[in-house]
Amino acid sequence: MVDVAVVGAGQTKYGNHPLGLKGMWAEAAEAAYASIDGDFEPSQVDEAFIGSVAFGGAQLGNTAALLTEHSGLDNIPVQRVENACASSGFAFRDAWMAIKSGQADIVVAGGIEKMNDLSPERKRFWLGVSGDTEWERLAGLTFPGTYALMARRHFHEFGSNHDDLVHISVKNHMHGLDNEYAHLRKDVSFEKAKSGFMVADPLTLYDCCPTSDGASCVILAADHVAKKLSEDPIWVLGSGAGSDHLALHDRPSITQIRSTQMASAKAYSQAGISAADIDLAEVHDCFTIAELMATEDLGFAERGQGGVFARNGIGRLNEGDVTINPSGGLKSKGHPLGATGTGQVVEVFKQLRGEVEQSRQVRDAGIALTHNVGGSGATCAVNIFGRDIK
Amino acid sequence: MSSNECIRWQGNLACLRIDGVMVKSRHTIEGAHVFGPDSDHTTLAISGLSLLSDECTIQSVCIDGNIEASVLLACGYSIDEKAEWSISCGEDACVSISRGAIQKGRVDGFEIDEEFHSKISEAWLTELSAVSQGAYVSEQAYLSSSSARMNLTSQKMGDLLIWPPREMVGSERPEEGSALRGSGIIESWTKLSAGGAPSEFSLRAPILEGISTVFVRLIDGPCGVFLIADDEDNLPQIGGDVNFAIRRLYAQDGMIRYGLKALIS
Repeated sequence: MVDVAVVGAGQTKYGNHPLGLKGMWAEAAEAAYASIDGDFEPSQVDEAFIGSVAFGGAQLGNTAALLTEHSGLDNIPVQRVENACASSGFAFRDAWMAIKSGQADIVVAGGIEKMNDLSPERKRFWLGVSGDTEWERLAGLTFPGTYALMARRHFHEFGSNHDDLVHISVKNHMHGLDNEYAHLRKDVSFEKAKSGFMVADPLTLYDCCPTSDGASCVILAADHVAKKLSEDPIWVLGSGAGSDHLALHDRPSITQIRSTQMASAKAYSQAGISAADIDLAEVHDCFTIAELMATEDLGFAERGQGGVFARNGIGRLNEGDVTINPSGGLKSKGHPLGATGTGQVVEVFKQLRGEVEQSRQVRDAGIALTHNVGGSGATCAVNIFGRDIK
Repeated sequence: MSSNECIRWQGNLACLRIDGVMVKSRHTIEGAHVFGPDSDHTTLAISGLSLLSDECTIQSVCIDGNIEASVLLACGYSIDEKAEWSISCGEDACVSISRGAIQKGRVDGFEIDEEFHSKISEAWLTELSAVSQGAYVSEQAYLSSSSARMNLTSQKMGDLLIWPPREMVGSERPEEGSALRGSGIIESWTKLSAGGAPSEFSLRAPILEGISTVFVRLIDGPCGVFLIADDEDNLPQIGGDVNFAIRRLYAQDGMIRYGLKALIS
């Protein structure tokens, strides 16, 4: 079967972007095109998948058609992919499958969200649209609340504590400090992160990612094309996905995310590797407890040991076997919902090619993982990348 | 039925009499009973009916215009003008449920801050006229699940009890089950700041200094999430017991939405 590589990747800066949907997408696409080493024209693209929640309803229908016409991708099959915050993780997987199936040679996967041009009231209505509306929302829960319930239960079952979450927050802010694309480039001390105002007890402001504007774009190619387009393609070694009950009350446990376990098991199996082989991982830390649980569900830490993993700083840049969120993660880099998944791919593409700022470059990075979660874990996409074809 | 016994019941004051029960809000302003932050005549009536259910069987009731009939129907009571039992609303925060004369009487409550009460009342009025700008539970969706939401009506598949109800296919389609028992154990909890609460609660959350939610394992097995009522004096604790009472959840599109809230034991 054909192998698939990423040959180009680009994104906007995350944060409060001055441009609208069309402008942000064009900026990300242009950056992705420019990153391709060989001769490339957008007209070579066979298909495009773009992840977006269409936050605020600005272009809820036919989002992909609107965007692709503003990036030279005319008259090709396009579609919006929606799986909450995992939208573009799944868009990437759809693009990978389109090439794997032999139906396409060059495919665009991307994502976009414009979140910060809404009124506060309208924003709050939209922030919960991906959770269980009928039961959880009516019990006062949006995602800060659901992740707070998970955190307190994890503390109870495994002896983890809020200081463990603070370590994650401090690490991710430290990693994002020099990332030119990051939303929150702040050096945050342990004391400051520990004393943030309470959002959803026990989660404080410093446990929560920001809402960001942003777009990201990735170009995938079949092996016979990739070698012509790129001197240094990054190979997709595995792509897994999973799902779980939308509402927490239907799950057998609220201290693990089964969709992550399922997705990573598939991706590891396809890649023929284990968690121990990963050099860096872009992990979905929408809340610090999400990263703590992900380190367990992805196999970097034993079940229940995510707190110890964080406490001991094992995920810090170049300090342990694996660097977790060298971009700063969602906590520092930002979280433009639909753009986050392919934004993670942009980061690992550059990390594996040695193209990020030297101060945050993972040494000898050979294999990387992206982990993109929808909502409180109802959906998850995990992709594994390598410098070398397996 | 005992006589002239007044007790604290589901956060209210209930006085059992020979022919029925009088339920008053426990909150007062200068001695006059006023509704609490999430109560009204309907929630007082349901509270009274649940107290009477320990004493006798009531299947149908006659109600006046201040009671929301859909809540009674969801809880298994039919509405009948000729029913033996009548629910009458007092001018203050009081209801009488009786098969004879209207139950009246004095019972001491607890003074509530007048400004707080005024702000909450205004917030409810404003909320009633609010329209969703995003996530939304339609009136139809709310009413179709109201029996499960207010009466814990479950589904059954073999020995397995399912709640909240699920839509399944083929051999996995569950049968209608009975109402689950209304108590459980706290497995987790959180208190949300005004900024962390959904928009439906954004007017009241700042006045209440946040809203609290518990993740509960019901004693019959299924789990659920519930807002906490009357948590001024008690912090929830994992492993702690809860039972439930029907209260106002939020208002939208001109309609109050009701549901079970957890009471910390």
